[in-house]
Amino acid sequence: MSEKDIEVCEGLSIGKSFFEKKENRILTLFLKGFTVYLLTMGSIGFYMSAFGIRYNQLLAHTVIFVMAMLCAMLYYRLLVENLGYLVLFISFAYLVYVFRTYINSGFYAVVNITVQNASTYLDVDVQRLYTEQIENRYVTVTLFVLFVGIVLDVFLNVYISRRMQYVTVFCVIMSLNLIPLYLVMEPDVFYVIMILGGIAMAYVFKVGRHYSPQVKVKRDNNKFKQKLQGMGKHKRAQLDYVYDVRSMLQAGIWTFLIALLVIVNVRAFKPVDNFNVGHEENPYKQLTMSGISTFMLEGFQGFNRNRDDNGGLNSGKLGNVASIKIDGQTDIILQFTPYCYDRIYLKTFVGGRYNPYENTWTSVEDIRNYEENTPEANAYRNYYEQNGDKSSRGVMRQLAVDTNGVRFAAPYYMSDVEFDDSRYAKITYYPYIEGNAAYVDEDEYAGEPVLATDLEVPRENIDIINSFIDELGMIGDDNHNIEMVKDYFQENIPYTIKPGKTPKKEDFVNYFLEDNRKGYCAHFASAAVLAFRAMGIPARYVEGYAVDYNQITMNGELVEGESYSDYYDGYSELGETALVEVKVTDADAHAWVEVYERGKGWRVVEVTPASDEEEDTDDFWDMFDKVVGPQDADGLAAGGALPDINLSISDATLRKIITSVGIAIAAVILVVICIRCGHIFVKRAKYVKANNSDKLIMKYGEFSKRIARRNRAYKACRNYHEQLAFIHRGYESCGATFAYDISLEELERILDKAGFAGKEISESELEKALSWIASVNVKSASKNPKITIEEGDIVE
Amino acid sequence: MTHGDRMINFTRIIIYLVLYAVNAMLYVFLHSHFYFTLLILMTAAPFISIIAALLLKRGIRISADTGLMDTKGDLSVSRGAYSVRQREEAFFSIAIKNPTAFVCLDADVELELTNDFFKTKGTKKLTVPLRSFEGFRSELPVIAEYPGIIGIRIISVTMRDMMGFIRLKKRSDAHAEVVVLPAYSGALSMDGVNLQQGVLESEESTKRGNDFSDVQEIREYIPGDKLMSIHWKLSAKRDILMVKDRVSMSDKQMVILPELCGRDRMELEAILSTTYTMIRNLVTEKTTVRLMYWSAACYEYQDVRIDYTEELDTAFEKLFYEQTYENMDEGASHMPDVHPEMKAFVHIKAEAGRAMVGVRENG
Repeated sequence: MSEKDIEVCEGLSIGKSFFEKKENRILTLFLKGFTVYLLTMGSIGFYMSAFGIRYNQLLAHTVIFVMAMLCAMLYYRLLVENLGYLVLFISFAYLVYVFRTYINSGFYAVVNITVQNASTYLDVDVQRLYTEQIENRYVTVTLFVLFVGIVLDVFLNVYISRRMQYVTVFCVIMSLNLIPLYLVMEPDVFYVIMILGGIAMAYVFKVGRHYSPQVKVKRDNNKFKQKLQGMGKHKRAQLDYVYDVRSMLQAGIWTFLIALLVIVNVRAFKPVDNFNVGHEENPYKQLTMSGISTFMLEGFQGFNRNRDDNGGLNSGKLGNVASIKIDGQTDIILQFTPYCYDRIYLKTFVGGRYNPYENTWTSVEDIRNYEENTPEANAYRNYYEQNGDKSSRGVMRQLAVDTNGVRFAAPYYMSDVEFDDSRYAKITYYPYIEGNAAYVDEDEYAGEPVLATDLEVPRENIDIINSFIDELGMIGDDNHNIEMVKDYFQENIPYTIKPGKTPKKEDFVNYFLEDNRKGYCAHFASAAVLAFRAMGIPARYVEGYAVDYNQITMNGELVEGESYSDYYDGYSELGETALVEVKVTDADAHAWVEVYERGKGWRVVEVTPASDEEEDTDDFWDMFDKVVGPQDADGLAAGGALPDINLSISDATLRKIITSVGIAIAAVILVVICIRCGHIFVKRAKYVKANNSDKLIMKYGEFSKRIARRNRAYKACRNYHEQLAFIHRGYESCGATFAYDISLEELERILDKAGFAGKEISESELEKALSWIASVNVKSASKNPKITIEEGDIVE
Repeated sequence: MTHGDRMINFTRIIIYLVLYAVNAMLYVFLHSHFYFTLLILMTAAPFISIIAALLLKRGIRISADTGLMDTKGDLSVSRGAYSVRQREEAFFSIAIKNPTAFVCLDADVELELTNDFFKTKGTKKLTVPLRSFEGFRSELPVIAEYPGIIGIRIISVTMRDMMGFIRLKKRSDAHAEVVVLPAYSGALSMDGVNLQQGVLESEESTKRGNDFSDVQEIREYIPGDKLMSIHWKLSAKRDILMVKDRVSMSDKQMVILPELCGRDRMELEAILSTTYTMIRNLVTEKTTVRLMYWSAACYEYQDVRIDYTEELDTAFEKLFYEQTYENMDEGASHMPDVHPEMKAFVHIKAEAGRAMVGVRENG
């Protein structure tokens, strides 16, 4: 028994020739490639047809089919795989580089169409759409589809050809296709058939034995392989088939037909058009819709809610956020009557003492008996009651939705607050409007209006603050100094919501002023408070919400059935308005400074500069845009305008693609022809140089190969004797006459002499043998259905 | 888990149910026609798959034969119980005809290979596809280390449905046999001529005063028969002249008795090979050989006259249906009782794994 024979029991084994049978593996690879094509094209067509996006489907099908087949064929040999992937990658990278603008525009077109459909479905007003550099969507989307198709072909081929991992593949192809389904948009039946047919085929192939025993990709053509089954002493070799193209093909056709039948019948009995008629959305889906809306408005950052930070501001805790996290959700519902063009401040936290290196503000309530600007409110109320110039009284209703336990945010200057049954806080306030001359008497304060803490600068900060003040230049009066600080910030330190976290063991204010030199409102306000204090201006750090006039006009909604006079009385810059409801989100969260001014009390000072850098307001989509956005390319004008984009370009582009593909195919054919010609040339050269014996053997070898190709049983013939007998019987079996000038015994003698005797045959012998070879009808010779060669067959 | 001939793949079913549940949840969530279609497909597919497997099981025909296939997979030559030599490939053909349109990508063929004479038996699982309208056909080369009748039996074909949920087993008794003759090793180490002379001389000396002949049969007297051939006792009983038909021992006939002792397979193989080679050598030298061996089943000697090589092969084919015994001297020990007229024979036995050839006098 040879080493490769499989022992069945003592003294009995199965010959190795059994599992050395060969199978045409190329067809198996093509079958896998076809499965990849079904899944890739089905997946892309699914999405595109669901949204009704137009593109050149014929070109897409052709390119994706060809690529799927090529990718599948890469597994034929390891060398082919390695080189193939390299060539594929380089070619692909080159094409992507050449057509990057088109692909980008195609991508934006698809995203824009998706967003538009989603906006309609979710009833979200998404203003933000992407600029498509090239307007001809038919061309750009086609190129984008080709790009995605090739990537998917390569990706899915790994899973299909190697392991037939249908679950992974289905997850991949359905991940994005859930978007149209979520938006209740169904794809064309054609692509449903492709996807379901393809995935069903993959399932059935996976269950079949072809994949079960395979751990690695087999690169030989053996039809059977040995597999050890069982454990320990029960382990024994089992013979598994590896390749059987015809059965795989039959199983594939069966599966595809079943999928087709089911889909067609389902569509017939339950048409897509009225499938959702009268259906109410699933409550869980409804829950997700708000999240999706947030995503559409703000991208992933919309989900990255940090409740403790409340938009990066968290009750005086500083420095732990790298960037402000905005969840976009409503924090406070505000009902009031707009009365001025200025920003309205609503405070929730007042910091009295700065704690260096802890990077926190201690609440003023923890330091003193804080009365929430009661003296100021009293002064403004008195002034209002005295009908002072530009005095007024307002009532504001607030519903704290998500304010980390804060029940309301105090407007300037809040007098009193009460809560009704609907959890709304009803706040009476006396607003400061430019020109209001109310005088705040220092005696109104329960204690000193200004405590030592309001002028305290920690010694850890004093050096930095002093050098900052030195940098400001000449010191003037308080208002001058305040303006200087504001101007300095505006001109020298940019605003950003992504300043990065303050490093551990670093002080928030020092790091901001000395090292980082950028920040958001909390940075500016904190630094300003310490600077003001150092300059002798009593100051506090305040957090809360700032609502701009524009925001009120754009997002505010009128509250009907309410009387203006119930909510506002007195002077208004805007005249008589109406009760407006504004949803204050944590995007409105803000930090500012209160400074004490004799006679005016504690008043707001805004030190945060306006944001003038677009990059600092990036949301997810902006970042996405930066990653995949259009690049300046040679031949493209800045700003994305393509100098000569018109319909004729699209034709040219398509021509370019077709020409490229054509050239690639022609190159492949040329290489194949060259290789073939090379073989023929080498063979011919060898033949010319050979002696008579070698010439005969070469010719006879080719002749034998031709017969063996037609009838594999010929390979079983072990010598010339058997081969000639085979040919003779072939003639007999088809009733052909077998009459030649040379007898088979003579021919066999000549062949033996040429092949084994080591003697050169004569010219006449060569001529005779060659004339016999030339005159034999290969078709008849190989038409030998039932031949067994036995020792002792007599050649007549 | 197995229920008789039906096996259920619970793991796959559970995985399928999980996938089904995930898709069902997605359907409930999305209320999508696509997922509705997918669920219908996932519901229908297992039934279709199992029904197809049942029909496939009912439809297939299993057969085994000996011989080679042609390129189309048809049996080109069915040789019946043809013979090969030890260590040569003996070809069996296995055919599972599938007249249905259904296909199976995973069918386990349980094969049993036996050599009854040597009491060896083993099973092997062969996993094959069953094509629609075609099935599976293949030739299986079997190599036997020991001579004997090599049998192949297709015990069962277990088909997995296309979805992989169940396996259906179809039992079968399809079988085929190939005779594996002992290897002919050419010249033996012992001197065959001397051995032959020894036997003949032994015969001659014990039958001194008689003719060198042996009784082959008893028949009625025909005029011309020698008087000395008349069996007087029997003639008296039957009241008719009976004669003993004698065959001369002087025409170079040799009795060879191999011991079919199966206690050690190597020894038995050595005995058979030696016996085969020796007889073939003698037959080639035109010596008639009487092959006698003890049939444990019939409890008598089997006596075969061999003049040609073909007769030798036939004799061994018949011998392989015998049962072996444990006692190495069993065959020779019955000779004095059953054939007392036999004076000597060539006795082939084995010791320490080697065949021993010697002339043994009877009695």
